[in-house]
Amino acid sequence: MSDKYAIDLSVKPGDDLQDEEMSDVQEITIKRKGRGFQSGDQRGDGVHGSSFEKLNSNDDNATGKAVKSVEGWIVLITGVHEEATEEDIQDKFGEFGEIQNIHLNLDRRTGFVKGYALIEYEKFSEAEAAIQAMNGEKLLDQTLTCDFAFVKPNDDRGRKGFTTRSRGGYNSRRSGRSSSPGRR
Amino acid sequence: MPAEEFYVRYYSGHQGRYGHEFIEFEFHADGRCRYANNSNYRNDSLIKKEMTVSPLMIKELKRIIDESEIMKEDDQKWPKKNVVGKQELEIRFGNEHVSFETAKIGSLVDVQGSEDPEGLRVFYYLVQDLKCLVFSLITLHWKIKPI
Repeated sequence: MSDKYAIDLSVKPGDDLQDEEMSDVQEITIKRKGRGFQSGDQRGDGVHGSSFEKLNSNDDNATGKAVKSVEGWIVLITGVHEEATEEDIQDKFGEFGEIQNIHLNLDRRTGFVKGYALIEYEKFSEAEAAIQAMNGEKLLDQTLTCDFAFVKPNDDRGRKGFTTRSRGGYNSRRSGRSSSPGRR
Repeated sequence: MPAEEFYVRYYSGHQGRYGHEFIEFEFHADGRCRYANNSNYRNDSLIKKEMTVSPLMIKELKRIIDESEIMKEDDQKWPKKNVVGKQELEIRFGNEHVSFETAKIGSLVDVQGSEDPEGLRVFYYLVQDLKCLVFSLITLHWKIKPI
């Protein structure tokens, strides 16, 4: 009888106690899942490698944070209705300049529009005008958000990233990282 | 307030007659996006591209991942990597971190025949949606065909 109570007490509130202990030591618990954490594979030839080709972002302050792609300026549109068509995008965004390319990608499961579009203008001024005018506008009752797709890298991160995070990414075997401040 | 922890990496590859052939891409919370593709077939060479995408692009990527509900899945019952190759999907999203590893999936037939078709289907479609996005970014930014 007394044993039974003891078990009940130790099991049920136990979970809560554990949570409190966690927050007391000011640690955020990261829930990890997957076989990738056990796999010891190490590769140096993928994204964790070095010498990646980049497009030179010229320090032209007139174009702000935006970066030019090889042939033009790429604008990202989000909030695109699942039934929107390339013609809808063309109608709305064509007035700011000739659209060189449209990628209106589909959800592979449903076949409907995934929710974003990427369009290319030849000139910065055209892309900027489109973003200014169309950000917050509606298309098929959904509010669009528009911005440049590509921006200049954050230099601070660029330099520091390679030394402090030598292999890049989140390596499960990475250690020595100080714990983040707690939630409270 | 610091940005929410966020990272995505996908890898698909194998070791074969033409060496280590793979595609891999990653996104960091600050927008850094890297893409690497190595195919030695017919002397194709390694493509390594890096670009920085805007916060809006990262936000859209988070939406796609969030709506897929991939973080609820587990790879325990998914087909194990084999001689045909393997796929890896690593996502850090807030305080959750998954690193899934499975075999290459040829089609939905492989998904249906697996021990966890519901979970594997989520993975299968998310990977296609992510690849589709990355290929669009590469194609538009560099004017190359990524594959």
